[in-house]
Amino acid sequence: MNDHLLAVLELHGLFQWLYDKLLTVGLPESWTTVVAYGSLSVIVFGVLALVALYLIWWERKIAGHIQQRFGPMRHGWHGWYQTIMDAIKLLQKEDIRIATRDRVVFFWAPVICFVAAFLAYVVMPFGDRLIVADLNIGILYILAVTTFTVISLIMAGWGSNNKYALLGGMRSAAQMVSYEVPMVASVLTVIVFVGSLSMVDIVKSQSGLIFNWYIFRVPFGPIAFLTYIVAATAEVNRTPFDIPEAEQELVAGYNVEYSGMKFAMFFLAEFVNMFTVAAIAVTLFFGGWNGWQLVPSWIWFLGKTMLVILLLMLFRWTYPRLRVDQLMEFSWKFLVPVTFANLILAGVFKQLHWYW
Amino acid sequence: MPELRTEEFIVNMGPHHPSTHGVCRLVLTMDGEKIIKIEPVIGYLHRAIEKICENRTYQQCIPILDRFEYVTAMSCNYVFSLAAERLGQVEVPQRAEYLRVIMLELNRIASHLIFYGVTAMDIGAYTPFLYGLRERELIMDLFEMTCGQRLTYNYIRIGGVSRDIPPEFVPKCREALKIISERMSDYEGLLNENPIWLVRTKGIAILPAELAVAYGVSGPVLRASGVQYDLRRNDPYSIYERFDFDIPVRYHGDCYDRYLLRLDEIRQSMRIVSQALDSLPEGEIKNKKVKANFKPPAGEVYARIENTRGELGVYLISDGSAKPLRVKTRGGSYNQLQVLPHYGTNMLIADLVANFATLDIIMPEVDR
Amino acid sequence: MIKKLLKDIKALAQGLQIAGKHLGKHAVTIQYPEERWTMPERSRGMVVLLSDKETGELNCTACILCEKACPTGAIRIEAPQDEKKKRHLKAFVVDYGLCCFCGLCEEACNFSAIKLATKYEFSTLSKEDLVWNVQKLQEMGRDVDYVDVRKKKPVPGAAKAPAAGKAVAGVQSGEASDTVSEPLKSPVTANESSPAGPDAETASEEGQS
Repeated sequence: MNDHLLAVLELHGLFQWLYDKLLTVGLPESWTTVVAYGSLSVIVFGVLALVALYLIWWERKIAGHIQQRFGPMRHGWHGWYQTIMDAIKLLQKEDIRIATRDRVVFFWAPVICFVAAFLAYVVMPFGDRLIVADLNIGILYILAVTTFTVISLIMAGWGSNNKYALLGGMRSAAQMVSYEVPMVASVLTVIVFVGSLSMVDIVKSQSGLIFNWYIFRVPFGPIAFLTYIVAATAEVNRTPFDIPEAEQELVAGYNVEYSGMKFAMFFLAEFVNMFTVAAIAVTLFFGGWNGWQLVPSWIWFLGKTMLVILLLMLFRWTYPRLRVDQLMEFSWKFLVPVTFANLILAGVFKQLHWYW
Repeated sequence: MPELRTEEFIVNMGPHHPSTHGVCRLVLTMDGEKIIKIEPVIGYLHRAIEKICENRTYQQCIPILDRFEYVTAMSCNYVFSLAAERLGQVEVPQRAEYLRVIMLELNRIASHLIFYGVTAMDIGAYTPFLYGLRERELIMDLFEMTCGQRLTYNYIRIGGVSRDIPPEFVPKCREALKIISERMSDYEGLLNENPIWLVRTKGIAILPAELAVAYGVSGPVLRASGVQYDLRRNDPYSIYERFDFDIPVRYHGDCYDRYLLRLDEIRQSMRIVSQALDSLPEGEIKNKKVKANFKPPAGEVYARIENTRGELGVYLISDGSAKPLRVKTRGGSYNQLQVLPHYGTNMLIADLVANFATLDIIMPEVDR
Repeated sequence: MIKKLLKDIKALAQGLQIAGKHLGKHAVTIQYPEERWTMPERSRGMVVLLSDKETGELNCTACILCEKACPTGAIRIEAPQDEKKKRHLKAFVVDYGLCCFCGLCEEACNFSAIKLATKYEFSTLSKEDLVWNVQKLQEMGRDVDYVDVRKKKPVPGAAKAPAAGKAVAGVQSGEASDTVSEPLKSPVTANESSPAGPDAETASEEGQS
């Protein structure tokens, strides 16, 4: 009984129970799989959309309190459903489409951005046995699908037929391509120690003591984490690397011509992406869902992710913005050498078993 | 392989752009992200202030001129009063002079706090903006307590000031100065040593001293280029020679120096204010001979003061009637905007934003 | 190189620390409609017409000094003179669309009749609602405290309405009040005895047009 309760609290028991119920309905086996995965993706999508909305509120509150303001206060306790109302408002707004746009590109850009943001969650280990599909190339898959965002931003910049948007799109392309390299290199540093690309294996290799987390694998872990978090900030276009939408330079960058729900899709995708990079950071460096047994694993995962996100938010509200060429310089002249040196050293040390 | 054909394109930065501080329009000819040519287009905020003043009595001109340079409206009040006093040979009581200096310098601090916040915001840091405005509120509260308004004061009048300070002003002012000087370390901690801030401002948009002088640039922008020129020293007005303060000068002329110089000036202004508060005499606050229908004798005069954005001047011609025949205003922002195309090219659009922010241009002063 | 890197990291961490330090502090802003800032007593907000505390009648004597002092022509007074050259207030309109809240009308008034109160909320949905007539101005001024400069003058010959010149003398004797800092002697007498000075007249007209 106790095991059952624990399993339900851990949610995988709940899903198992639901799946067993589904089997008793009497559908053919292939249909059962389709229905199960279909409903699972709906659940993941819904939860993530809510998380993104909640993150927007959280960001506004953090920003407000750093700046000694309140932030949203009107809807509910400390404005907790403010962003839900905002989303409803954006849904109702007129979708302004400028006449000179490139119709197809303009329409598909937010869609691709939105979809790409959610694709990564197929292999995200939310908790113990809480994963949609444990691909054996999990982390590689995430790195591959998140890159779709670049395409959507360029499409938005091009399709808007606006000079500011075009500049923003070009900037985002340049930025994301250059920061992909140090990001992958820092991820690989961890992969070297794990020896597997599967997300579940990465998490499992960090179980047990807190010192098994890769952040404590001095010196490679901390260096890899720092370079990862910098590259990830750039990857999700947040200050100090938010040059694609640099408000003071390009007004709003690639999404300057978007309004209504299309804008909301870009906006939500940005926050989902932020959650993604934070979740990857937690998986790679902070032991994923590992934690004290009494608390369900998915709470550990979410809590750690929120802390990493808090760090990203502090970055955003503290630092000025880099210039576009300095951004490139920083990536290619500093981050790439550092991450590769770290990766090579980590590989050498791993081969010689000079680590604990 | 044939060469790729590239072409320049034109971007209209403004009149509605977040970082042009109002309705300035810069027509940028760009090669990719690089700026080849800048053409400022002004006049979007023209309100004919000079002409309006010609139809008002001298007393009525002062609230109109509040809108001339609204970030430091005290200076506008003062410079017009100074011109009218010089025309009409009006004596100003001692207490009024001290109050004027206190208000002018407090307003200078407030303006530089806005500068700090806005510049940080233009370079991408949002939080300093709120911090700058938070401390500015303290000064605005002092002004509101004294003259009733936070932005358009109408406080300094011909022959004195409109009202005496309330009794709680002096302790509150000292407290505000103390808070601001404590929080200066926060400001500096957020930006001064920050490597991102340094690469964005240091060595960016260097304004050579010769060019600055040739275009009549004045104020902090000129002093950051290494020219020690401050009207409080070079053409003393009011009672500034009684106070002990330094004129900060910096020599690189880049964005970083322009930024640091303003922080230095906040400190110097605080010194002046605390000295003035210490030696504030009792007595009259307004020359009683100045009436509502103040009629200076026919003549012309030019009065100029050191404002936060450079030399602020009023050229006043009187024909002996109750209204000025001609009011010509001169603001520092105009010259700073005019010099921008001559050194602001060949850099990226992000540098232009930093450059424009550190010039501290406000459009009402340019367009009038 | 390493040294510079460490210095940079230290500076970045310092920035984070300053931002984080503020996270726990209480907000300096207030929740406006629920909480309100107490405006300083001198705050220049809404222009109101003051009434006598005892009789409840307007203090205004229709001397049109405030109309002349107004730099934007926001005050419009209709006060035709009778055969004794005494003015009777027919209409008093303040157009808040024009008003610049400079306070010159309050300073020009010698009868404590007009004041910039500390009230500040007058948002409306239409421009016409910003033009307030005498009833509304008086209503808004009912609960406004003020120093009545008229009462300080012993009125000789109470049957006659206080002549402007004497009222000014009264103000000068009651110098202590700083609500009226300029006595404005000459325009008052000019205004009451003879038609107002040509300059002031044109000023107000041009302001209106």
